[in-house]
Amino acid sequence: MSLVSPEFLLLALVVVTALAFDFTNGFHDTANAMATSIATKALTPKGAVTLCAILNLVGAFLSVEVAITVTNAVIRIQNPDGTPIPEVMGDGGGALLLILMAGLAGAIIWNILTWLWGLPSSSSHALFGGLIGATIAGLGFGGVKWTGEGYHLDGVVGKVILPGLVSPAIAIIVAMIGTKLVFKITQGVNQRYQETGFRWGQIGTASLLSLSHGTNDAQKTMGVITLGLLATGTWTDTHQIPFWVKVACAVAIASGTYLGGWRIIRTMGKGLIEISSPQGMAAESSSAAVILTSSQLGFPLSTTHVATGSILGSGLGRKGAEVRWGVAGRMGLAWLTTLPAAALVGAVMWWIGNLFGGATGAVVVFVLMVAGWLWMWLHSRRDPIGRHNVNDEWEAEGIAQTSDDVPVSQEVTQ
Amino acid sequence: MNQIVAALDAAWRILLIGVVLGAGLPALFSFGVRAMAWGTGGEATNHDEGTLPPPHPVGRVIGIAVFALVVLVVLLGLSYIVAHGLGYNLVFNGGLPAFVPR
Repeated sequence: MSLVSPEFLLLALVVVTALAFDFTNGFHDTANAMATSIATKALTPKGAVTLCAILNLVGAFLSVEVAITVTNAVIRIQNPDGTPIPEVMGDGGGALLLILMAGLAGAIIWNILTWLWGLPSSSSHALFGGLIGATIAGLGFGGVKWTGEGYHLDGVVGKVILPGLVSPAIAIIVAMIGTKLVFKITQGVNQRYQETGFRWGQIGTASLLSLSHGTNDAQKTMGVITLGLLATGTWTDTHQIPFWVKVACAVAIASGTYLGGWRIIRTMGKGLIEISSPQGMAAESSSAAVILTSSQLGFPLSTTHVATGSILGSGLGRKGAEVRWGVAGRMGLAWLTTLPAAALVGAVMWWIGNLFGGATGAVVVFVLMVAGWLWMWLHSRRDPIGRHNVNDEWEAEGIAQTSDDVPVSQEVTQ
Repeated sequence: MNQIVAALDAAWRILLIGVVLGAGLPALFSFGVRAMAWGTGGEATNHDEGTLPPPHPVGRVIGIAVFALVVLVVLLGLSYIVAHGLGYNLVFNGGLPAFVPR
């Protein structure tokens, strides 16, 4: 007679995995709001992650919008009202939990792998990718909502692919125009005086970005966890998210943010361009404006794509500034591969989990995920990047330069 | 195909508002920096060898006014995020921002 029922164990694993994903979401995205402020020394590395973490925490609580139907954007495992569809309710919701478990595991593994490479990839693409892969494996291709109907943007095409292509382009243009204007207007101002002034502007715009990240991203995990609770009948209200879920997700994303994904911060702050604080402010304003406008219009986009696009644009907008296209190209490649790669891992995880079945399957998936995480973390220790060296010259021996020949990738994704 | 049209339709609106706000804000801030530099004089501006430009108090006043405006815009952005999270929408009634429940 065991103390914990298999059903409870399965649910608990899904909740823990979802929170782990939220945590990776946090450290993966610290760079979006803070990379340029750290690079231009508007904020100290520690000050930046602290501010960003606090605003993410506040943001996560601010959002009372019900995000229970978050998976409806790309897969068909929920009814429009948020309740799970009957097809996945076998074994007391076990079928649905396995899909969530495998999908989250896929998203986490891809998130950590791209962190190891120091590449800013979209956490929402990773989450959607993982869930899509696990759904295809579990329910077949019909389980995926590929495209929306008519002019309503929906499905993989409308909610993921098209915004992923459009939003970086918009951000590049806006930041480029902003940067051109800034340098034109401040002509004749002493460069040191300029730098100091714009650092203040950067702090303001970086705060905007951090807060909006908290309100948007923590919600997704809240929705996934609540879906798991609904599937097992532990929670029945589709109009509310349990308070403890909200607290747990807020704390998970904030502590992830505080940890800081230094490898990614370094790539975005130092790798793409040599950024000055006027460019930094132009880039952050561009990101904030594009993200807030999109959320007002209901256009779903990835913060990562916008933030990177803006930094690139601020490099293009400055005369004589050099953009490292090699780094930009690698990022672009990571964007294109995030969804399919996370989907592949999610699908493989589902097959493995299904092979063992039930709670045992979930335990196996969990152990595999933790093993993968440990493996990648150990690899990162070879050339650690942290507060101490995040701002070192890009030309120096750094992770993002040697990451091409890190052989770990193939082994882990298999 | 309709999806692409819908995405492009959203895209040009975002681009338009994005340029106004996202490029406008740093441009505004730049005016503030420039006014402050002119107001401060001395080493704040680029100048010929040996002739330190005098300070202009007016420049400082303009600079502070512009910065206040920037702070206002940032606060508007913050309140938008907060209101959006709490289920309110931002509308502009004859140019004045107002929050209405969704």
